[in-house]
Amino acid sequence: MRPLFSRTSVAIVRFVIAVTFSVATMVVDVRFEALSFVRQALKTSLWPIEKLASAPQEFSRSFAQWLSFRVSLVGRLESLSLDNERLKTEQLKLQTLRAENAELRRLLSVKERFSEQLLQAEINRLSNDPFIHRATINRGFLASVKKGQPVLSADGLVGQVVAVYPHASEVLLVTDSTHQLPVQVTRTRDRAIAIGVGLLNRLELRNLPDTVDMVSGDLLETSGLGGRFQSGIPVARVIDVIRSPGQPFARVMAVPIAQLSRLSLVMVDVSTEGSR
Amino acid sequence: MTFLVTWVASLLLIAAPFPAFMAIALPQWGLLFVVWWSLMRNYQLSITLLTFSSLPIDVLYGTALGMHAFIFALLAYVLTLLGPRVRQVNLVMQSVVVFFVLLVASAVSYWARTLTGLDPEFYILFTQTLASAIFWAPMRYLFERISNFTGEAGADSS
Repeated sequence: MRPLFSRTSVAIVRFVIAVTFSVATMVVDVRFEALSFVRQALKTSLWPIEKLASAPQEFSRSFAQWLSFRVSLVGRLESLSLDNERLKTEQLKLQTLRAENAELRRLLSVKERFSEQLLQAEINRLSNDPFIHRATINRGFLASVKKGQPVLSADGLVGQVVAVYPHASEVLLVTDSTHQLPVQVTRTRDRAIAIGVGLLNRLELRNLPDTVDMVSGDLLETSGLGGRFQSGIPVARVIDVIRSPGQPFARVMAVPIAQLSRLSLVMVDVSTEGSR
Repeated sequence: MTFLVTWVASLLLIAAPFPAFMAIALPQWGLLFVVWWSLMRNYQLSITLLTFSSLPIDVLYGTALGMHAFIFALLAYVLTLLGPRVRQVNLVMQSVVVFFVLLVASAVSYWARTLTGLDPEFYILFTQTLASAIFWAPMRYLFERISNFTGEAGADSS
């Protein structure tokens, strides 16, 4: 290989070329999103590296499961059986409510929503960059996953698919600092935008009128505005409403309902069309 | 060969899953890889190779393509100029130099991230830089071992 920066003049020329190339690449990627095919090719070729890197964790997880002794398993089974019974009862109630809802919608001449098709997926890894809240899941476009589809957990909204590869997809979590989500308060139907602040346990609602009717404990759900997410998906719970004297706007802090730092299984709503 | 093995080792460290709470103190493995090559093997390193090797790192971190190429170029330039002096001092002093150089790189990274629409906290970049400086010695040892193993040990390796 040739020496790097062997003479000062050559060093500056090479440095300038490298910097120009990298800045141009950044602009083309961020502003025009024209390098998605490069990202896709690189991500696919990095699959063995990612599998190898996560192998120790998967091995330790399997080993810990193998070590679980019978008593805890029996206890867990009993608890799951009870949960199952409870869920069955709730399912019956839900079916009744669904039927009532459909009837009411028909009465109101409202178009019935398409039934959700949820695809189960496993989170392979979270980005190790603390400022980027992205997760890689093990389903890609071969499993009908499309860019823009919502990703849910058993508790609530997790995020949305932002990049799709053959066997994997990248999910932008609701807490990422570039993510903004139209929400409404379940109690009052007040609408707002939930903004990620780069912390896994925090969402923020800014520029709300000082007189907004929001209290700690209020549930925030998707409002359906923008057409990306269906309305009514639980998102976060309000923990603090900051009203500073002399300030025209209130700030509301909320905690995502989904335990984003501990997630392992998620569901992709593949019935949604996704975006371009 | 050494470049390939050290690069794959760095990618493995970057892709390895760590608990979310550890993210603030994770060393910047990619930057340490460039620091080692720029300080210890700059006569074997090509800027083109360095630029293209940074793209998978962007993909793994989810940052804009080209962001690490930019920081790598800056680091390689600064460290190649500082290299002869830094190689002569002991490991502790080297770690101190690495800390300050990476701090400058982190400031540039902070600025680049802000331009690409992110809202980073500088103190996290600071803690990561500190962790990177602490990990400089083990990382250097690992890369020297790899270099010896592949039979491409440099003149200054011991």
